[in-house]
Formats: sequence, C-alpha cells, structure tokens
Amino acid sequence: MECIITIELGTNAVRVYAFDLNGRMLGSLKGYCPTFHSEPDYSEQDPDQIFITMLYVLKNLLNDLVHPKKYKVLSICFSASMHSVLAVDKRGNPMGNAITWADNRANKEAAELKKSALGKKIYKTTGTPLHPMSPLTKIAWIKNNEKEKFKQASKFLSLKSYILQQLTGEYMVDYSIASATGLLNIHKIQWEPEALKFAGITPAMLPDLVPVFTSTGRLNKAYQTSLGLSADTKLLVGSSDGCMAILGDGIIGEGMANITVEDSGAVRVMGDKVLQDEKQLFFNYLLTENRYVSGGPTNNGGNIFEWFTRQFGDFKNPFDIEDSMMELINKASGISPGSDGLIFLPYLLGERAPIWNANARGVYFGINIKHTKAHFLRAVIEGILYEIYSIGKTLQQHRAFNTLSINGSFGTLPFFVQMVADIYNKPVRLMHNYHSVSYGSYLISATEMGIYNSLDEAVKTVVLRDIVTPEKNNHGTYLKYYKIFESLSTKLANEFADIAALQQS
Amino acid sequence: MNQFLLCQKKAVELLLFPHIEEIGVIKNSAIRLNGFLNIVDDGLKIYYVQEGKFEWTINHRPFILYPGDVALILPGIAFGNENNVLEVGSFSWIHLRIKVNKKGQLLTGSWSSLSDSETRAVSKILQMNSSPVLQKFTEAGHIFKSIQSELFNQEIGYQARVNHLLDEIFIQMSRQFSRISNPGRDFPSTFMKLEHELRQDLSHQWTVEEMAALVGLGTTLFNDTVKSYSGFSPVSYLINIRISEAIKLLKKSDINLTDIALDTGFYSSQHFSTTFKKLTGYTPSQFRKNHSRTK
Repeated sequence: MECIITIELGTNAVRVYAFDLNGRMLGSLKGYCPTFHSEPDYSEQDPDQIFITMLYVLKNLLNDLVHPKKYKVLSICFSASMHSVLAVDKRGNPMGNAITWADNRANKEAAELKKSALGKKIYKTTGTPLHPMSPLTKIAWIKNNEKEKFKQASKFLSLKSYILQQLTGEYMVDYSIASATGLLNIHKIQWEPEALKFAGITPAMLPDLVPVFTSTGRLNKAYQTSLGLSADTKLLVGSSDGCMAILGDGIIGEGMANITVEDSGAVRVMGDKVLQDEKQLFFNYLLTENRYVSGGPTNNGGNIFEWFTRQFGDFKNPFDIEDSMMELINKASGISPGSDGLIFLPYLLGERAPIWNANARGVYFGINIKHTKAHFLRAVIEGILYEIYSIGKTLQQHRAFNTLSINGSFGTLPFFVQMVADIYNKPVRLMHNYHSVSYGSYLISATEMGIYNSLDEAVKTVVLRDIVTPEKNNHGTYLKYYKIFESLSTKLANEFADIAALQQS
Repeated sequence: MNQFLLCQKKAVELLLFPHIEEIGVIKNSAIRLNGFLNIVDDGLKIYYVQEGKFEWTINHRPFILYPGDVALILPGIAFGNENNVLEVGSFSWIHLRIKVNKKGQLLTGSWSSLSDSETRAVSKILQMNSSPVLQKFTEAGHIFKSIQSELFNQEIGYQARVNHLLDEIFIQMSRQFSRISNPGRDFPSTFMKLEHELRQDLSHQWTVEEMAALVGLGTTLFNDTVKSYSGFSPVSYLINIRISEAIKLLKKSDINLTDIALDTGFYSSQHFSTTFKKLTGYTPSQFRKNHSRTK
C-alpha cells in the first residue's frame, strides 16, 4: 500500500498527516513549537527547534502508523505559515531566530513605505499589503537596525526554505510563500527589483523560485536512514497554509469564498486575476501561474474568545479551557441575536483587514442597565464574526460570491457556523473533523503524481458535506447592529491612536 | 500567642535546632522608632502578621501586610521598615539558616525530609515568584503556632515534629505560590514560563515531578495536559529543546562535544551522541562537519 504525507509548519505547531492515495486520512500527529516574545513587538521562532520538532513528529507518525502497516511513502508535501524571515550566514547557519508573521518591529518601515509613491507601486506589483508582517519591511528593518547582521547575512529565507534546505541541501521557495514576501512581482512571477532595492538585497540572497508542484532534491542519506524512507520518496515544496486551506475546502474558481477562524482569521477568494484595490486592503497570493488567492486577514479571531474565557470562564478543572468555552457558548446561545444592543469591537490585538489599523483596540458599545454577563459574552463572539463579515463585505465589492465555506478550530464550532450563515445570509459549507490545510497538501501531491489530471480536477472532487443555512429573521437584526459596528471601527481612529500611545508609554 | 523570642546560642529550646536562628512573636501597642531596622543578611525569614497593618519594604519594594499575610524574605534580600519604625500590631516570625549553592539553589539542610528533587522544585518556586507576599495565608499562622507549642512543651517526638512543621511551611508556601502564578486558566502562558525555566537550566536533570511542581499541577494531570497541548510528553519535549540547543552549539565550532552534551543536559557525550543520531541520523560530529562548510 502506498501513502502520502503532508507536513504543515505552523506558528505554534508542526502537524504531520498521512493519507492513502484516495485521500482517506490514515492518521496525524502534532508537535508544539513555541513563539518567543523577547520584546513586546517581537515574535520569533527557533528554526532548529522547528526542524527537530518536525523530524520528531514525522518519525513518530512513520513508526507508529506507516511502517508497521507497510505503507510506502510516495511523497511528502510541505505547507507553512506565510511571511517568516530567517537570515543565514555563508555556511547556511541561522543568525538568530526566524521572525514570524505576527512580529511588528518593522512598523516604521511599513508606515513610511505605505505613504510613499514607491509603496503604491510596490503594492501593485507584489500584491502584498505594506505592513510589518511583510518580509520586505522586515528585511529593511534588519538593514536599518542590525547593520552588522545584515552585512554578514548571505541569504534571507522563509522558515520552510530553511527546513527544506536542512533536509535536501537546496534553497527553494514556492510561488505562494514567495508571493507573501512583498518581494515578488506576482504578474511576472519574478523578484521585483524595486522591492529588493528597498530591502537592500539581490536575487542571489533569496532562495530559488519554484512552482508549488516542484520536487526538491533527494532527502539526505542520513534522514533516509533515520526515518526509514527510501531514496525515491519525493519531497514537494508545496504552498502556504492559507492557499492550502482554500484548496482543501474545494475552492478553485470564482463564486465562492472561504473563511478561516483559528486564533486569527481570514476571508479568501480565488480567481485568475489579481484584486487591485486603491486602499491596499487585500493580499493577493499566487498559487499557480494562473490562480491568485486574494483576501484579508484579521488578527482577532478565536484568540479573543479565548482571552474572554480566561478572564470570565469557570474553569471547573484547571487549564480545561475547552470545557469552559463550551459552557460559555451555551450561555451565549440563551441571548438573542444582536445581544440586545450590545456591540463589541474585537480589536484587542490591533487590526489588519479591512481597517489596517495597528492602534485599534477593543470596545464595548451600547451597554445598558439590562445587560448581563451573558450579553457581554455573546457580544464578543458576534464582534469577532462581524469583523469576519466586514472583510467579506469589502471583498464582495470586487468579486461576487454566493456560497461560503468555513474551516478552523473556532470556525467549525456549530454556534460560530450558524452565526456566520446568519450574518452573511448565505449557506455555509463545512466538514467536521477535517483539516483543510493538510487536505489541500494531499491534493497538490495527488495532482503531481498524476492521480488527477489537473489541480482543478483534484479540487473539484472535494465535497464539504455539512451545510448550515441561515435563519431568516436573524440576518436583518445582525445587519442593523453591524452598521453601527462598521461605523465605530473607523470613526474611533483618533481615539484609537491616542489610547494606543498612552498604552505604549 | 503570647510574646516570646528564642535566639540561637541563647535559648536552650533551640539546642536541637541549629538551623533556627530566631523565632518569636511580638505584640506592639505603640509605635517604636528604630524598632524595626532595614537589614540584609544571608538567612531566610518568614513573617506572619496577626494583627495591625505593617508597611514593610522587601527588596526595596514597598508592601502593606494585613492580618493573615505572610512575607517571605530570601537570603541576601533587604527587608525592614523604610523608616526603621515598628508599627502597632502583632506578628510572628522565624529566621532560618539556609545555605545557597553555587547555582543559587536553596539548600534546606539535613533536618529536612524533602527529597533532593523536591528541594530543588521548592527552591525554584520560591525564587521565581514576583511577589514575596502571600495574602490571607492563614495556614502559615497555624504552623507557626504548632512550632511554638512543640518547642515549649517538648513532648515526645518534638524534634521530629518541629522539623516536619518547617518542611510543611515550605511545602504549603510553594504550593500557594505556584497556585497564584498559575491560576489554571492560561496553559499557553504557563507552558511558556515552564519552557523558559527549562531553558535557563538545561544542564539540570529535570524530573517530571519538578516540572509539574513549577506549573502547580500533580504529575498525572501535568502529563496529560502537556501531552494534549503540545503533542509531546514532558520528557520528550525536554529532549527536543536539548537537541535544538545542541544543534545551535554544534554550529559554533569552538565548543567541544562533551561540553555541549553536559551543557544541554545529557549524561555524557555517549548519551548525547546516541540520542542525536536516533533523531537526525547523524552523529554530532558528522553534523558539525556538514554545517561548517561554506555553501
């Protein structure tokens, strides 16, 4: 029997899945990898710990499941979080930790570039919003602030490129991860000279640019031995977690949108054209030569509900946040939609799409004497999903969609799904106990090995069985409150700036 | 409790307890200038407030203590009233002679029946706490009272009981401190704190009991919680950090393999080499060679 392995290098865990050739999941394991915050704005991961964690988890899955049942591993396909940057020296050794997407140290570089004419031009060619998340601004930050390190650096890699290099000796980056660096011209699919100039680097300092189906060189002999894999096991460079999630949910063309609610969240659409937006609201990532994934990310997803639970949940058992969250959801369901006029802006972590305001903060609005703890709770969940709606609404001005699919550990909670359906007034499709990112990686592998004739054909086989339809009366109620939500989110810009300044002093 | 004061070398009651420098209770009915001096010494002190309100500084930070509150002053930490004033009220205290080893760990001494690993965990917990004050910790008051009556009544077994009660106070304080710093709500941040402690002292032979104690959980619940959160058993997670750190050191070519092995907590270079090869397929020296070439 033969199987396909997928590896997701996420910001807080490495996840390894095994699938048979028909896409049936055989098993999975994860391994936690910490994110370090040595300064308030910093967010870093240790590349070697990720590498070791990946080896450990992969080895365990192979030894527990794949080898005992005599599965032959045909290919291993990788996905990873976007926007990471790792400087390596001339021997290929990391110069400190990798900087992750959540790192805001390049705030100043991003703000200045965004205001400039050059910035507008770079956004147009690269499709990546000018934001501290973007490797373009991070590398510029290193150039401006760590001159010695910048001088010594021989390459700037994504975390996935580093891991692949450790396994095979080759430096590669796939189109999708590359298109999230702010350095790639997504129309011509080559590094953008003006962006590279701003970052102060040359193309030789970046990994080789390759399509997502590319197989890297052979797995190093030592790893073949320690993992028990044969020399002909293919390693596929793969794509980013965001692009994989949308594939895994069966989206390959226009007319559909995909929502992810994990700790953070995103709304994405796919098409064969870039979404050009004057206000630079969207990202546009490249999946293949003729497919772009466009959308907007939010900082404030399930992590805000978790924050609320930590403060106000019951915690009958120590650290059992799942149980406390379920109990809160139960209580929230007893309150009517709209929380009887209590509105919550979830911007505890600043916000990206659609307001792109790092200074934004959380707000309760409309509190009256009848509101109870349960109202405050329901308002939090509504606020998180109003934000998801506001991204979708902005996207819809550029590209119409009729159906929605949803994934993510929070997104697939029944209470959340129903609320998304009601707020959008559209049916929402999903599948429980399903990991969209890994399934997307399986589809890439299966297409590459010819099980499907094309990626389109592969993705069309995905059927999300569960459909949640909107309840008629709720949409109108939500919409009335959403109007106020939307207006507050921009109206308070001055006060957000003032309070953020006070909080930072 | 009535007022009393027993001092080592003067009080016969302390003859069998050379580790107790001083124990006493004071009831003060009028403010006394120069009655409570700000001092630093190398003993460990525990104060328990019974009545009144006391403004004390510990390690140059001001604290106000109310009845039921306990202050813990670690060796070498400045303690007293800022103006040297003894305020109105009553409190009991004990000063213990506690040694500190080179690594900064508190060594309770031969009187204690805590195991080595428990002592290390207790020491870590007491030292990593941000506040030296436990509020409303009346258990300490009861223990103080029992110690006092054991010392004065000297019934059969009192030597053992006093020492047990001293252990008891350390155990109760550690549990209370770890409950306060880990209120059982935020495992991600609790786990980050633990991970930080592990990295700070990677060469130490950590036991699961020690790790669990730092997080304020029993070992069974600790194992389950770590496993479901991280996918690793606590020991596997520790090995992962050890190897990740070793990789970094291997890439700096000037440290020898035995030092790397010991610094990252392996028993020997042999143990390091086998563990490393099992996971990576390379021996540490092959790995080093591969990564010292210019690419």
